[in-house]
Amino acid sequence: MHEDVQARFAASVLPHLDAAYNLARWLVRDAHDAQDVVQDALVRALRHFDGFRGGDPRPWLMAIVRNAAFAWLGARRPGEVDVPDDELDAALADGAPPSNPEALAIRRAERREIDAAIAALPIAFREAVVLRELEELSYRDIARITDVPIGTVMSRLSRARHLLAVALRPEATRSLA
Amino acid sequence: MTDDDLWLDALLDDELDASASLALQRRLAAEPALQRRFDERRALRDAVREQATRHAAPDAMRANLQAMLATPAGAPASARVPRERASAHRRVALPWLTGVCGALAATLCTLSIVDPGALGWHRLDEVAQQQTAEASEAVSAHTRALLVDHPIEVASSDQHTVRPWLSARLNFVPPVVDLVDKGFPLIGARRDVLAGETAAALVYRHGAHMISVFVEPAEPNAPAGAEATRVVRGFNVIERTQGGLAFCFVSDVNPKDLRTLADLVTPLAGK
Repeated sequence: MHEDVQARFAASVLPHLDAAYNLARWLVRDAHDAQDVVQDALVRALRHFDGFRGGDPRPWLMAIVRNAAFAWLGARRPGEVDVPDDELDAALADGAPPSNPEALAIRRAERREIDAAIAALPIAFREAVVLRELEELSYRDIARITDVPIGTVMSRLSRARHLLAVALRPEATRSLA
Repeated sequence: MTDDDLWLDALLDDELDASASLALQRRLAAEPALQRRFDERRALRDAVREQATRHAAPDAMRANLQAMLATPAGAPASARVPRERASAHRRVALPWLTGVCGALAATLCTLSIVDPGALGWHRLDEVAQQQTAEASEAVSAHTRALLVDHPIEVASSDQHTVRPWLSARLNFVPPVVDLVDKGFPLIGARRDVLAGETAAALVYRHGAHMISVFVEPAEPNAPAGAEATRVVRGFNVIERTQGGLAFCFVSDVNPKDLRTLADLVTPLAGK
């Protein structure tokens, strides 16, 4: 490993360390485990970096982090990553559609409630929300990172937002309190 | 959830092209219920963006990475992180010490390469080690191409487009043939770098699988017809030397289909 490669790697990847950690943290839902995942991902990224020429390093790194997180979960908590599509559909059917007027009250929901609602999403929806809302990546980048067609990104994101809207309805937040 | 929600979300995310966006905005102006739904969606989006926690990388982890990456790679591991610190931050420091330091290649190869061929050998001589390293590099190039933006520099199934494109950029001419009638449509090609040498990478598809075919001039002393088959990090790899060219086929497709493609491509070498 040449020094200049290491320096280039550091310059490309370290600026995205927060994004990498944030994604890992939301996927594995544990601070210590997320560090393991990020470290594993960066070892892989460094190994493959020789051939990474140009382009935006962020989606490239995020894809590696995402795959590392899934590999990590697959080995330790396989139940969290093997969610069949019909189960996702069931998750969707659980809540009635949010009715209109109270929806604006969502704005006043507390950070704690929003975090809990995101954390409770099935992982395929959760990663879509984190990549879109927190990392503000394009549908195209999200499709590449999560290795699904753009249409699937759109439907997952839409379902995720629907589930969040249901979870954050004022009635729901009151019953939590 | 309705199809409308997909469109509303795409508008919200600024992912619609100009005409679709205009059409949807006209609908919003005409349909108060749809506009209300859009406002809800936006309120939710804004709430999540403003309030959801963005977890910052822990300072200790960042400091460790910076220290590791700023240190010359040749330095011994013990010179970089004091023992006490390594144990105090065991969770953070140890994977990096094993992963990034001098033994990087060796450690990772041991951990990540499943190589049944190698396991059966009594002695891994230097040549075999080098071949394993090359196969590993080919798998890295293949997965990188799948991960990163552009697996293909020239996208064409027309061998009369791809072949001149490659020969204009390489100092050798790889055999290029579309095998769509055999179930292996040619998707395109790119240049890639294997072991410091520029190689041609032909990309074929077989069902849902992508197959990279790396071609580079063979080593002068490489025996013609040499062949090795191995499994590297879950990918099947077939290496073959023929007609003065070294071929490396990499894919997650099953070994039988990969061999079929190899048998179709390699007889064309040197012609």
